[in-house]
Amino acid sequence: MLPRFRASPRTLQSRLVLLSLTCCFALACGPSESEPREPVAAVAATEAATQGGATVIQYDCIPNYANWGGVTEAYFKKTGVRVPPDMKGSSAAMAALEAEVASPKADTAYYSGAIGFQAAQKGLHAPYKPAGFEKIPADLKDPEGRWWTVHIGHIALLVNTQALAGRPVPRSFQDLLDPQYEGLVVYDDPRIQGTAFTFVYGINAILGGDESMDVGFEYLKKLDTNILKYAKENSYNELLRGEIPIWINADGNGLKARHVDGAPIEVVIPQEGTVMMPLVMGLVEGAPHRAEAERYLDWLLGEEAQRLFAESFFRPVIDVELPAELAAKFPPAEAYSKAIVPNLAEVAERADAVKKRWEDEVESR
Amino acid sequence: MTSSALPAVRVRGASLPSSRWLCSPLSVILLALLVWPGMRLIAESMASDDGGWTLAHYQDLWRLSRLRFALIASILLSIAVAILSTGLCLAPAWLLVRRSFRGKRVLRAIYTLPLSFAGVIVGFLVALMLGRVGFVPILSERLTGIPWLSGAAYGFAGVLIGYLYFEIPRATLTLEAALERVDFRLADVARSLGASRLQAFFWVVLPSLAPALLSTAAVTFSVSLGSFGVVLILDARSFSVLPLEIFMAYLAFPSDRPAAAAMSVTLLAIALLINYGCRLAFEGGGNRGAAVMARA
Repeated sequence: MLPRFRASPRTLQSRLVLLSLTCCFALACGPSESEPREPVAAVAATEAATQGGATVIQYDCIPNYANWGGVTEAYFKKTGVRVPPDMKGSSAAMAALEAEVASPKADTAYYSGAIGFQAAQKGLHAPYKPAGFEKIPADLKDPEGRWWTVHIGHIALLVNTQALAGRPVPRSFQDLLDPQYEGLVVYDDPRIQGTAFTFVYGINAILGGDESMDVGFEYLKKLDTNILKYAKENSYNELLRGEIPIWINADGNGLKARHVDGAPIEVVIPQEGTVMMPLVMGLVEGAPHRAEAERYLDWLLGEEAQRLFAESFFRPVIDVELPAELAAKFPPAEAYSKAIVPNLAEVAERADAVKKRWEDEVESR
Repeated sequence: MTSSALPAVRVRGASLPSSRWLCSPLSVILLALLVWPGMRLIAESMASDDGGWTLAHYQDLWRLSRLRFALIASILLSIAVAILSTGLCLAPAWLLVRRSFRGKRVLRAIYTLPLSFAGVIVGFLVALMLGRVGFVPILSERLTGIPWLSGAAYGFAGVLIGYLYFEIPRATLTLEAALERVDFRLADVARSLGASRLQAFFWVVLPSLAPALLSTAAVTFSVSLGSFGVVLILDARSFSVLPLEIFMAYLAFPSDRPAAAAMSVTLLAIALLINYGCRLAFEGGGNRGAAVMARA
């Protein structure tokens, strides 16, 4: 008695097709689930071939952060050079550069201030002074050009008023602790995203805490009960959709959501104050497309790119004349009167310890 | 090599040695891909700061509560997924093998479609369905006034659903292939000897299916143990799984790479053990199946 052993050629065939489809999919999405870089780079390569252009790889080039999507698109239209999106946050970008130090894959990287300072300290950047470097205020750049600021943001509460479903808009960090906001508040995972790290570090000083940072961590632990999640990927689209009603992030992203994408977003500079966050870049040591990268970094500090950043509400680091209509959309200057200006060297030195403490005391509980 | 292989063709027939030759480049590549990175991983997991050898990173897996919980959560989640997906997919696999009906191909397509999705995409789908303002809570609020399952995506339930969705095609396809090999005439014999439909299923069909069920559970367990795209997107609040901890160790703190390597080796060892254990049980199960057949 023989067991039946039958697989019709048709099912076998369809399974093979399915399997190969899966393989293609896995190849496209597999190794870089968090950074859809390769496929885009491949597209860029074919387009570049027809235009004689090239590619510059920028780690942390999140299209929905500081309008990098629009800025890199404008650069592509102007020069034919593609700067593909990259979804790594500041810390992940630094970690990747560190892992690839023997054979760098990236040309440049973008960070929130302290993390970029830390990356420069670790020797991951080559000194370079892009055109316009001298116009950057002295405290917003490394004298040798190992890092420099491209634009400035501030920590704010980005509130989707529609998603609050009748609850009042919170005005302060204290308000966020109210039980009525349970499960409505999100800030990103500070171990990956630099903006969230700036908040986690800065909240202590905003609330008047001392060196020990206990005041800040006490607050974060209380806030934990109202947190929906510590997002590891950028949450911009979820804010627009109302999945996330309150996102603690950079003011510019909320202003863009409101004025450019037309979402019901209110940007609240909390009553207790905020932290000023320089957003910095550096040229990667051993960059594979160095000449192309230098031209790109020069352009980013020029008037055209700086205005593009301003149009997405990140403050230009270089004085450019803004149209009155655009300037009026920024929150009034007095809202920022209590903004703390961090000492990047100090923050960088304590960054790893603060991230670890957050992991132990806030995330693990 | 070639000269010694050629006589074998004449002696034993052409098919076996030629397929062996076709396989050998693939085998070499697979072995190289397994051995070289595997050795490096093991070496990295035992590297101590002073350049010597240490097992501290393995001890940390149990000593540090966050890693211990992640390890336990990974194993429990994978067991749950293995049992549920094997149990749930038996019915559709049965339907696809034993019945012919209109729309069978559509049904098979529906069941196998998730195979082509990356974990991250499944994560997004779960968030869209069971998020704070997901499809299910919004619909239930319209119907009943209460947003059921609002935000369930960010808890154990959401992750479990995501993982299950991910494993359904694998379980269905494996079980379908196994069911095609079952000799249903045995069940007919049992029925003619007076067994009820249920008795025939539980005493004749199920025992001969046991090895297939076990290997399906082993495959879904192993895949679940290693996947993390779903959790990465859902950012589950109450628990974490080991693959996510590996990801964080690599990306957030570069100094934690030996710890990440130790976690990877541990996951690999668990998956190998489970599969080897199932293989052993499979052989036992096969014998039992044969015994059942003999009895029948």
